Amino acid sequence: MVLAQRTGRSRYRLALLVLTAATLLTLDFRGFGPLDAAQRGVRDIVEPITRVTDTLLGPVGDLWNAAFDYGSLEDENERLRSELDDLRSEAIQVQADRQAYRSLLDATEIDYVGDVERVAASVIRGAVGNFDDDSITIDKGARHGLEPGMAVVTGAGIVGRLDRVDTSTSTVELISSPDFTLGVRLVGVDEVGLGQGVSNDPTVFRVDRGLRATDDDAQAIEIEIGSAVVTAAESRYPADIPVGIVRSVETDEGGLIQIVMIELAADVRDLGFVSIVIERIEDRPPIAGVNPVTASTVPGLSSDDETGTTSSENESEADSTTDPVEAEPPASDDSDGGSGGDP
Amino acid sequence: MTGVKMALVCLGALVLQLTVFVDVRFGSAAPELLALVAILAARVVGPDRGAVMAFLAGLLWDVYLPTPLGLAAVSFALCAYAIGSMESGMFHDTRFQAVLLAGVGTAAMVCIYALLGAVVGQDNLLTDDLIGIALRAAAANSGLAVLVDPIVRWAVTESEQVDRAAAAG
Repeated sequence: MVLAQRTGRSRYRLALLVLTAATLLTLDFRGFGPLDAAQRGVRDIVEPITRVTDTLLGPVGDLWNAAFDYGSLEDENERLRSELDDLRSEAIQVQADRQAYRSLLDATEIDYVGDVERVAASVIRGAVGNFDDDSITIDKGARHGLEPGMAVVTGAGIVGRLDRVDTSTSTVELISSPDFTLGVRLVGVDEVGLGQGVSNDPTVFRVDRGLRATDDDAQAIEIEIGSAVVTAAESRYPADIPVGIVRSVETDEGGLIQIVMIELAADVRDLGFVSIVIERIEDRPPIAGVNPVTASTVPGLSSDDETGTTSSENESEADSTTDPVEAEPPASDDSDGGSGGDP
Repeated sequence: MTGVKMALVCLGALVLQLTVFVDVRFGSAAPELLALVAILAARVVGPDRGAVMAFLAGLLWDVYLPTPLGLAAVSFALCAYAIGSMESGMFHDTRFQAVLLAGVGTAAMVCIYALLGAVVGQDNLLTDDLIGIALRAAAANSGLAVLVDPIVRWAVTESEQVDRAAAAG
């Protein structure tokens, strides 16, 4: 009798815990401010302890890697030596390519991030759990002027965006995350599309929305392998940040949409330092009307206007042509500290 | 006093998870230290208090995970409740069983976390390697259980009980 009473009471308590969790999940999804503030508070309190512990126990990780990753380190050394040899032999070629690249940038009027203010940050840790391989933590936060949603770049190009911003640290969602949605512009054909990271392959980015196979005159749009891809003017991020180069192109089953695999310009697997592009985040979708509307037809995205200056009238006009299935939530949703996905 | 000690143990586990176990990985999987603490605590205190402790430990871990707040907490609580119930009815108290339960419990927690995550829209948790991650994390936690078990026992047991347990055997 007593045992039955105790079992009933503990089941009741378990049900209460499940209900509490459901409430927290709901509030978190809805971006309930006090909940975010409480989480930030906990992280801010724990961070100094973490830094001291990291300083004290850092050698443990180094020892572990030295002991158990020795084989892979040897392989990596061998690979790097081989790459160094290749690079030496290609030095002259690189010089020529650099000039060609400069010419390409000049020709396309790409000004990488331009004069926008940037904040340099170092990566203090990678993934902490078993399911967040596509995130890193950096040593700059709100007190350095950072806000959720800001673009994170390296010298090679975009690597991610700020997800959670605490007082002195921030979490970056990397471009390799399947939840990372980005509007891109294919420089060669001046077409815009929407893509996301690919699971288990941090070197590529898949653009599968918005890239038509034919233009308005029913002429095939030929996307050249190796052509440059940059952020679109209507993305959440500053325009014309390099994303990568086109690796492969295929057409969907209906033959209407082109699916492009992009080789990312920046290697996100081993980041040491990054820069955050300080730009006020506007409340706008990642890209307006990517399908079936393209650069030539979206107001403000014509080949004559690649600077990203779009009037509000044009935005509302573009929104009216947006396929509801393709439409993304506004950037303000990012400030909830969630995974950056669209659950 | 037990609450304070348990809070300290959870904080220590969290800090180690955020520092040492970012680098120290077992076949690319990290041990789930807070899950381990929750399992071992539930084993000692039973399903009732164990579920509450596990819920709070999971909530602390949720603050750092990219998934919505409450997901790890409910996963930990459900698993700890099951382990606490099983333990009180089925097992005698031996170290080997602690290791075994740590492994099985961790694998279950990881899988429940991923499944519940998928239910609430976190599809990326259901990776092809989910079973592999669960097994590697379980193996790591089993190994660490030998070290963590005495600490958790110290945290969840009142001092007079510890003395009595030590005197008994």
